[in-house]
This record gives sequence, C-alpha cells and structure tokens, in this order.
Amino acid sequence: MISLRGVSLVYPNGTRALDDVDIEIAKGSFVFLVGHSGTGKSSLLRLLYREQKPTRGEVSVDNVRVDNMRNAKVPELRRNVGVVFQDFKLLQDKTVWENVAFALQVTGARTKDVMRQVPRVLDQVGLAHKARVFPSELSGGEQQRTAIARALVNNPKIMLCDEPTGNLDPVNANEIMDLLHRINLKGTTMVVATHNAQVVDRMRRRVIRLEHGKITADDERGFYHVTDAGETTTTVVAAFK
Amino acid sequence: MDWGKLRFFLNEVRRNFTRNVIMQLTAIGTVTVMIVLLGVFLFGREAVARIGDQVVHQIEISVFLDDKATASDAHDAIIAIRSDPRVESVDYVPKAEGLRRMRERLRNQIDTSLLTSNPLPDALHVRVIDAGTVAAVAAHVRKLPHVADVEYAHDAVERLLRLSDVVGKVGIAILALLIFTAAIIISNTIRLTVYARRREIAIMQLVGASNTYIRLPFICEGLLDGLLGALLALAILALARWQLLPKITTALPFVPADVLHIDPTLLALELLGVGAAVGILASWVSVSRQLRV
Ligand SMILES: Nc1ncnc2c1ncn2[C@@H]1O[C@H](COP(=O)(O)OP(=O)(O)OP(=O)(O)O)[C@@H](O)[C@H]1O
Ligand SMILES: [Mg+2]
Repeated sequence: MISLRGVSLVYPNGTRALDDVDIEIAKGSFVFLVGHSGTGKSSLLRLLYREQKPTRGEVSVDNVRVDNMRNAKVPELRRNVGVVFQDFKLLQDKTVWENVAFALQVTGARTKDVMRQVPRVLDQVGLAHKARVFPSELSGGEQQRTAIARALVNNPKIMLCDEPTGNLDPVNANEIMDLLHRINLKGTTMVVATHNAQVVDRMRRRVIRLEHGKITADDERGFYHVTDAGETTTTVVAAFK
Repeated sequence: MDWGKLRFFLNEVRRNFTRNVIMQLTAIGTVTVMIVLLGVFLFGREAVARIGDQVVHQIEISVFLDDKATASDAHDAIIAIRSDPRVESVDYVPKAEGLRRMRERLRNQIDTSLLTSNPLPDALHVRVIDAGTVAAVAAHVRKLPHVADVEYAHDAVERLLRLSDVVGKVGIAILALLIFTAAIIISNTIRLTVYARRREIAIMQLVGASNTYIRLPFICEGLLDGLLGALLALAILALARWQLLPKITTALPFVPADVLHIDPTLLALELLGVGAAVGILASWVSVSRQLRV
C-alpha cells in the first residue's frame, strides 16, 4: 500500500529530515510513527501526500509512484489520502456540515453525493447533532472529529494523521484514537504520527521509530518507549543519547 | 444541470469579490479609466481617418497627356489606370473641356475671350482609394505611353500621413501603458484575495481540488473587475457620445458630421472584450504565480 525505498529528504536550508528510509506498510494496517521532536515524522507524512518530494529514493502510495508524479496528478492522489493535523485546520466561517461538504464540493462532486456522503461521515464520527454548529462552538475533540469527517468524506484508502491528539486531553485523545481505530477496521490504512505514549501503549499496534531521520525500530506490536523487550541495545542507546 | 454545484461556485466568487470592496472598486475604476480612454482613442482614430479621407479625397493625381495623344490613346490610358486596384476613379478631361472649365473658373477675373488658341493638354484626374498609395500610383502612371507629366499635392499627402502615423503611435503607447496599469492593479487585487483565502486554498489543495477548480473563482473575480469597469466606461462614453459629440461637431466645422454615424455597437463590443480579456489575463497570471505547487 505504502512503500518508501532509500528515501532521503534534505530541505533547501540543508536540514536532513530523512536519511535513507525504507518502509513497507500493508493495506489495511494501523501504524504509529514515533520519535523525538524534529526527527522527521511530519516530513515523512508530507512525502506520502506529495506536499514534499524526496531528495532521493522512491515513494509509492497505493502502487503509484508519487515522488516523480506529475503535478496535475497530485489532486487525484490527495482524494485517495485523507490527512488530519494537530491543529484541525477547519474553516472558522463554515459550519461543521459546510467544512465537511467543502472537501467534496471543491473536488467537483455532485450535490446528490454531497447530500448523501456528508451525513454518513458525520454520523460515523458522532457529530450528526452538531452539523449546523461553527468550529468555535465545538470542543477540541469535536473539532478533530470534524477534521476526520472531512478527511473521510472522499472515501480515502489511506489516512495520515499528524499528532491528531496533540491538542486534546487524555479522554478526548482516547476517543479520537478509538474513532481512528474503527475507521481502520473498515479497511482504511492508517498512519499516525504521535507523541502520545499512553495511546500507543494501550493500542499495541505496529510502531515505527524515527531518530534523526533514520528508522531505529519497527515493532509489530510495539510500545511508545524504547525500553521494552525485543528492541536492540543500539536502539536503546541511540534513543538515550 | 446541478444547481447546488453552481450555487456553491457562484457563492465562492461572491465571497472573493466582496472580501475587499475598496480594492475591488479601485480595480474597476482603473479599468473604467482605461476603457474610456481606449474608447476615445478608437473613436478619435476613426474620426481622424474620416477627416483624412475627406482631405485625401480632394487630392487627385493630374495626368497630362502629350500633344500626339489621340482620343483612342487617352482611352487606352484610362483603361490601364482603372485596372489598377488602388485607383478609385479616373476622370477624363479633354483639352476642350479643360478650357471650358478654366474659362468658368476664371470668369470675372480675366477676359478669357483673349485666349484664341487652346494651350491645355488632354488631362486625366485620378483618385486613389488609400492616400498612402498616391506616390506609388503616380509613379506607375508616369510610365504609361503618351503621359507627359504627372502632378499631385506631394507635401499635403506626406504630412497628413506622417501626422496620423505619429498620433497613432503615441496613442497606442499611452494605451499600452494604461492597459498594463489596469492589469497590474487587477492582479494585485487578486493577489490580496488569494492571500485572504490562503487557508481555504491550502485546504482545497489538501483534499484534492484540481488547480483549475481552485483558480476558477479568482479568474471570475478578474473577469468581473474587467467587465464591470468596461460597462461603467461604456456608460460614460455613451453619455459623451449623445451629449457632447453633437456640440463638438457644430463647434468645430472641420469635424465632419459623418463621425456621428460611426457604429457604436461594434466599438462597445470591442471595449467589453478588452475589459474582459485584461481581467482574465491579469488574474490568470496572478493566480498562477501564487498557486504554483
Ligand atoms: N519546511 C522546512 N524547511 C526546512 N527544514 C524543515 C522544514 N520542515 C521541517 N524541517 C526540519 O526537518 C526536521 C524534521 O522536521 P519534522 O517536522 O518532520 O519533525 P517531526 O518529527 O514532525 O517533529 P515534531 O514531533 O516536533 O512534529 C527538523 O529538523 C525540522 O526543523
Ligand atoms: Mg511534526
């Protein structure tokens, strides 16, 4: 579903955000990306929806090379990839309904489909009763649900979440993670970059750890912290440097 | 037809357009000034062309045949000159007719009965369609058999041509500058709208809106600026046409009343077209530069 081969990313200012990264992510899987601040998690996600091109290496999403994809093809890619951020990125002057519908309308969807899809996803994230409300009148958790609904409304095969619980209290964070998990169980491949140890440890999914742009651990049922059994000492040493 | 889709789109355009009313009015105003001046220029050029036509019409090439030319030689010359597509008309004045005309012209000035013999040659008076071709036609005619001499008002023609050439070039330069200014102001307005909507644009790009779809509302915004400015200009020009122009033609006798008959619909369509084109081009350039992915 997602594959990175020998991927490096060096920003124009010389920062090496990713350094020879290889990753394979299977269809329908749930993957956490963890690591200290500034180790390249967001950068990696940006490669997957072609916000950024790698300096070196191949990036494929849904069996399509995206690193050398023509610009005109990028919109098509993004309709297949839902993206959710820590800061929600909602439009303040649009209601919940309008924010979600927006993603369909600007891709030229028929009104008939908008009327069918928007209630479906609002229902799925549990916000049907808040459809007419503006983002400023919502809790953080509700705002993130709105953003998830917007990412979901195009029926993406993949969802990328960059610290989706970063602005939420533990209760809301757990609810959002459960929602992402339910979406994943319906078949959407889920990649979540997070600093939320509690959530990672509770869910026990595949955990890919980045340090200084390199993968230092990749565990099928991992924990957030590197001190767990099954991890190499070099990983531990590297992490504590 | 998907009315919901259309309504959403029009709403996007409206929101663009009403986001910064002052800038929008500035853009429209600049287009108005540009189109009014363009209209005046095009109209003026047409009027000058008509005045010029009148003057040029009075310029004729006088062709004098030699003594040995018979009526049939004159006829051959007329056929030859008429076959030239640049020639509008050829008027044959045999020497007897020439004398009669001269007598008429000089009556009361000198005693023409003193003229016992006819000193005049047979003459042809040639008019050309386009004043610019006078010299060439004259040169061509000079080479025909039995042509003794060719005369025309050299200086008048050349000065007139040079003047309208200079006026045309200066006008076009000023207009180019104006159109450029209007384009800059429109693209600046669009730039501000793009900036004001950068969050929305970012989200559109994130959820996979095509570049065309993202650009379209901005292009429409530029188109609206151009069209509204042009419409306002047309209103001003129409007012001038029906209120001011009749006064000008009566005040300035050399302006032919003929200019009142210049067709305003074609001019109006041209001006609307220019307004729309400037609006679309300016916004296209502006949006393309800012939305480059
Ligand atoms: N646009 C950019 N230009 C230059 N350097 C950048 C850019 N974006 C990120 N970086 C740098 O690249 C490195 C990786 O950044 P990235 O945002 O991917 O880290 P991260 O793992 O997401 O961090 P965090 O957990 O704090 O979100 C950092 O050193 C950062 O300063
Ligand atoms: Mg980050």
